[in-house]
Amino acid sequence: MDSSTASILVEVFFETIGYWYIIVPTILLGLIVGGIPGFSAANTIIILMPLTLALDLQSGLVFMISLYCSARMGAGIPAILVNIPGTAGAAATPLDGYPMAKQGKGQQALAISFVASCIGGLLTTIIALATMPILARVGFYMHSVEMIVVMLFGISLIASIAAQDMVKGLIAGFLGLMIGSIGTDVVYATPRGTFGILELYDGVPLIPALVGLFAVSEAFVIIEKRVIVNHDGEPKTPNWGDTFDGVRIALKRWVHIVWTSIIGLVIGVIPGAGASIASFVAYQQSRSFSKTPELYGTGHPEGLIAPESANNGVTSGTLVPLLVLGIPGGATAAIMLVVMQFHGVSFGPSLFENQPKVGYGMFMAMAVSYVIMFLTILPLSRYMSHVTTIPTIYLAPMIIAFTLVGGFVPREYMFDMYLALAFGVLGYIARRTGYHVAAILIGVILGPLLEKYFLWSLKKSDGDIMVLFSSTLGNILWVAFALSIILPIVFGMRRKRKFEVPAE
Amino acid sequence: MPSDHHKPPRQIGGELVIPILAVGFTIYFFSTIWNSPWTAQVSAFIVGGILLLVCAIFFVRAGIWLVRGEGTLGVGNLFTMDDIRTGRIGLLVTTIAYVMFIDTLGFTLMTFLFLAASMLILAKGKNAGFITMISAAMALTGWAVFIWAFDTRFPRGWFETTMKAVLANG
Repeated sequence: MDSSTASILVEVFFETIGYWYIIVPTILLGLIVGGIPGFSAANTIIILMPLTLALDLQSGLVFMISLYCSARMGAGIPAILVNIPGTAGAAATPLDGYPMAKQGKGQQALAISFVASCIGGLLTTIIALATMPILARVGFYMHSVEMIVVMLFGISLIASIAAQDMVKGLIAGFLGLMIGSIGTDVVYATPRGTFGILELYDGVPLIPALVGLFAVSEAFVIIEKRVIVNHDGEPKTPNWGDTFDGVRIALKRWVHIVWTSIIGLVIGVIPGAGASIASFVAYQQSRSFSKTPELYGTGHPEGLIAPESANNGVTSGTLVPLLVLGIPGGATAAIMLVVMQFHGVSFGPSLFENQPKVGYGMFMAMAVSYVIMFLTILPLSRYMSHVTTIPTIYLAPMIIAFTLVGGFVPREYMFDMYLALAFGVLGYIARRTGYHVAAILIGVILGPLLEKYFLWSLKKSDGDIMVLFSSTLGNILWVAFALSIILPIVFGMRRKRKFEVPAE
Repeated sequence: MPSDHHKPPRQIGGELVIPILAVGFTIYFFSTIWNSPWTAQVSAFIVGGILLLVCAIFFVRAGIWLVRGEGTLGVGNLFTMDDIRTGRIGLLVTTIAYVMFIDTLGFTLMTFLFLAASMLILAKGKNAGFITMISAAMALTGWAVFIWAFDTRFPRGWFETTMKAVLANG
């Protein structure tokens, strides 16, 4: 990095801090829209497009980036407190976040999530800034064959979730994959399993599935209890100690934050991949190489850190192909592209030569947003955690009303509300009879993507299945995938043997 | 060490609902792709085949539990009298009504009615005044944020139309 670049970075950094009056309210807005299923940074920027276009370039940029980062973080809040991920990117967060809330550790869990998100986001922003030319090429090397393996990394989480009852876990996971196959096939657009319903021709929409499986079914289950916190949970009088405890727990696991956020960054760079894939892959990898895999799913901090730092790593990752190649890495980045082009910014390699302050400004806006977010949101964890003490007779109907209507938002079809209700019934049956709703959701989210890449690969090779092993990078990923499956089993056996020795 | 001798038999009937749904859906899915190009079939047959296999394993396992007397075909883990006592059935009815009538009555009015009715059912009729107040506050907040401020295309009815006219005319 030469001195002129460094001086631009310093200058842009201080300029961005000057926009604190935009960043702070945008963060609060982002937390709200991120926390309500159906809303996201992408559709909020669309809704507020007239405002965004009316702002000057720098203000508009700061607004969009802050909203993007805070919405990502906001999605984790209801996931932890009431088992409702705000977006599909936070679908892995409740696996360990919600058990913590039920144990009366909601405040700690929020603090852990905020620290993991902010450090993960900040770190990956710095890495992305430093390695932009290299990262930008990742998208070129990741073809359909390689993406199949990335999907399998995420889908293998089903097996981990199924560990307690393998048959039931696999039924839930494969049922999710079958549901995810509903819709037209990607090559010839043949409708499959649609029951003749036109609204299903595009596949099963994710938000109604997420709303039904998590929110609606959860609302019907929690009414059995007076409040969400378990009777045997710690007695709760919110205090600053719990927040600092959460910060300490997260900082103690800084290595974990670093490597799971890098997983998010790399996946975020790949156009078309997204936060949901990143968070599932990060959770699975975190569990695979943990010394205490048996604690995952019971309220383990590492199980909360992994998806949260990974999905915030994705935010900076998606900016890399956008800025360097002009290819948006996700829906929000695509909308940013449109807004920035309106302001006369042309993305691509020339951006950093012609308008370096805009290029670097986007990363600086992200870094500053994460710093301000950390300072503003962390104290709020004390008050947010009160949600778990609201009587369920009030909480359950509110969850149902606002999430069901959230299911309507992305496509604006009334059908999607009925679909969310149907998924709610399925989720309720699954919860009551010992099937894991997260396994179903993983199938619904990743199944269509896996099928898409699989069919593209087969189509390109005229149906030759060996195409799956035809690329060097793909083969390296296959080996890594095999190792990620085998090594934890080996480590587990070694740990078991080590544990058994003193008993002999 | 506690004995399992008096452990109630497993309610397998409830546990069989998801596998039965899965088998039914898979067979239906196969019927829709039977004459389709291979691209529409390949992954569905692989995934559906595995799903049918694991369901078959579960059915065999359930059969063994039944034969050994370790389980019954009861559905007590799904439906009990508690569902009426806790208001779960009532909540289900109000939820279905919410989805059915929101398009006609609009988001604000239907949300208010749904929240008030559901909370009253769950609270067994207690605190009616507080519940009415909190339901109205939530519904109006929803209207103010999502419809007035964000102008989202939430279902609109009498209330939204009236408020739009009121606000437009100062």
